[in-house]
Amino acid sequence: MQPKKFFAEHESFILGTGFIVLLLIVWESIPLWYTLPRGMALFFTTPSKIAAAFYELLLNGTIEKHFYVSAIAFLVGLGLSIVVGIPLGLIMGRSRTLEDLLDPYITAANATPRIVFLPLLILWFGIGIWSKILIVFAGAVFPLLINTYVGVKNVNRVLVNVVRSFGANEWQLMKIVVLPNSVPYIIAGLRLAIGRAILGVVVGEFFGSSQGLGYMIASAATNYKVDVVFVGVFIFMALSVILTLAVKQLESRLASWRPETAKTF
Amino acid sequence: MASFIQAQNLSLAFRPKNREAVTALTDLNLAVTKGEFVSIVGPSGCGKSTFLNIVLGLIKHDSGTLQFNGTPITGPSQERAMVFQEFGLLPWRTVEGNVELGLELKGTPAAERTRRAAELIKLVGLNGFESHYPHELSGGMKQRVGLARALATEPQVLLMDEPFAALDAQTRDLMQTELLQIWERTKKTVLFVTHSIEEAAYLSDRVIVMTARPGRTKDVLQIDLPRPRDYEMRLTPEFNEIKLRIWEVLKEELNSRAQT
Amino acid sequence: MSAKEYFAEHRRFWIGICSVFVLVCAWELTLTYIFPVNPFFFTKPSLIGTAFLEQIQSAKLWHDLAVSSQAFIWGFSFAVVIGIPLGLVMGWRRRVEYSLDPFLTALYASPLVALAPLFIIIFGVGVTGKAALVFLLAVFPFVFNTFAGVKSTDSLLINVIRSFGGDEKDLYLKVILPSTIPYIIAGARLAIGRGLVGIIVGEFYAASEGIGFAISQAGDTYRLPEMFVGIIILSLIAVVLTELMRKLESTVAPWRASDEVR
Repeated sequence: MQPKKFFAEHESFILGTGFIVLLLIVWESIPLWYTLPRGMALFFTTPSKIAAAFYELLLNGTIEKHFYVSAIAFLVGLGLSIVVGIPLGLIMGRSRTLEDLLDPYITAANATPRIVFLPLLILWFGIGIWSKILIVFAGAVFPLLINTYVGVKNVNRVLVNVVRSFGANEWQLMKIVVLPNSVPYIIAGLRLAIGRAILGVVVGEFFGSSQGLGYMIASAATNYKVDVVFVGVFIFMALSVILTLAVKQLESRLASWRPETAKTF
Repeated sequence: MASFIQAQNLSLAFRPKNREAVTALTDLNLAVTKGEFVSIVGPSGCGKSTFLNIVLGLIKHDSGTLQFNGTPITGPSQERAMVFQEFGLLPWRTVEGNVELGLELKGTPAAERTRRAAELIKLVGLNGFESHYPHELSGGMKQRVGLARALATEPQVLLMDEPFAALDAQTRDLMQTELLQIWERTKKTVLFVTHSIEEAAYLSDRVIVMTARPGRTKDVLQIDLPRPRDYEMRLTPEFNEIKLRIWEVLKEELNSRAQT
Repeated sequence: MSAKEYFAEHRRFWIGICSVFVLVCAWELTLTYIFPVNPFFFTKPSLIGTAFLEQIQSAKLWHDLAVSSQAFIWGFSFAVVIGIPLGLVMGWRRRVEYSLDPFLTALYASPLVALAPLFIIIFGVGVTGKAALVFLLAVFPFVFNTFAGVKSTDSLLINVIRSFGGDEKDLYLKVILPSTIPYIIAGARLAIGRGLVGIIVGEFYAASEGIGFAISQAGDTYRLPEMFVGIIILSLIAVVLTELMRKLESTVAPWRASDEVR
């Protein structure tokens, strides 16, 4: 009776992790029951080999070195996007004129894949940390900016009028009503921004760098070291998942008072 | 007289996961004769909407019997149609499309559906609005669509779950009078759940007062006002006396411990 | 309607146009009269315009667009055909949701472009590799948005259908699918953006044709006006497609006054 009840209660967890474990097992075992054609064999790797490569690279410091470079680009780029995106979003939310003025650029830039600017950035800043930081910035700033000003615009009129009736000025309005109301939107924007920032790091390092995890992946691919490629991919995957979960936790804590949060996709 | 709808010793408990069971109804006894307009009033959480859903067939009771025209109720059927408090209109369909919904599910051919829908749209006073979408309609109009939809499949019983609660006071008064007119014409059996004593007294032949949770029938009051009824009746001393009687019964339950 | 009323209503559009117009003029004038332009680092609208006209007349631009579009359409179509049913199944059967959700969420959250070099090396620099990459990136918004659409179906409407004796098939056809369509379209909008990233990255990395390649090649050879032409064209396509999706969303679901995150 016990195992059945346990299974029923933790069904989602068991099925979820079970599926992933199953996939890994199948992947690992492919060479055992299927002989790959010679061409494919060159590109094939297994989870155990990936783990071994990871361990090795960790020991000889390669991962550490590249991780550090990527992390700097990520943090500086994301930091810049927060510092520019949120204040600008707040102002745009309160000023219709400013919003109308900037709208065409924001719409265009948001719809366009930001990496298309990478060759331009490389032209201007060369292959180095700055073109990377700027691509990260360009990717991350828009979700933050847009979410912030949507959050500001969505502030409950009634609340604004209430606070205004007590004689508050624009600055106080911001502080007391607008800003707290926008927090859930901003956090949702942050979650999207993190995803875009990581994307920026990856792509920036593919082309515009000689260091960093993205570079590690690209050069490993060129040298047919598929296991190293996957090491890099999995590191990015883990980082994304961890950061996204962290922000989701933040979201549920800070935005618990909202009946419906900002759209999450 | 054999009852059209008969509930005997009906009981139901909700068992949410990881939480204590909540008994919604216990030993509920209730009988409705054909063609009657019966209202159910009771304190919040007493289970009146739950009971309605059991009659509809969407929820299964735990014990006791529930019979419709002699046969037990085991699921939804064309004989019983519900009008929902939040209207429940499909937002992507026009008024006409919504009214036809029940007929579609029944398998009625298209030409017949259109004809029937047009009839009902006229009955509820919405002709001219056939091609409008729900989001273009006011609350009262939406509920008329709900009513038309429920009547379209020609059910024998109309189940109404606080249908006018989401409307403003004036629209509500209007809808009540219209409902009575439609009822006089179509002669359906109506089981009407409401919080409003006034509404219950105005509309019904009989008012059933339920106890607080777990719900059972506390008292049944006969409303001996002549029909057809009009708005002015609500201002007479007789009407007030009826209201008072209902209130006296209900009052006890409102103060009792199990109210949510 | 008087002039004043007209401008009040279309305010956003006109201010936007003026803003762009002013910027372009300022850009041109500054670089022509105030700062001389170093052709290796900057360019100005007039030069971009000339390059644009040249490109339109030459066959190269159209050829590049055709090549990129082909790969994009293939990848995107597969994403639609696989992503939407998968999302529907996940929404329909709870066990499927439990099994697939953690795995797919982890993938969705990850920068799958990181696999681009691998894809290109395995599939080569032709259409297949790029289309595979587009598929990989575009399938997830479809899966998750469809899934969210199914799960967010108004339970009241489900009860309505059931109260009329509708079975599961009726539920799906009459309530769940129509209710999900706006979500699917929103998913398409997101998928377009992600798919475009796939094409560009694929073509940056290893290609000899395509609009991404054209941009990066122009960069390598310091031909800035041409680079800007490529960027602007791509941007225009992206904006047109995205705005089309938005229009579609609001047409199909006018009852949703959704003010959402873009």
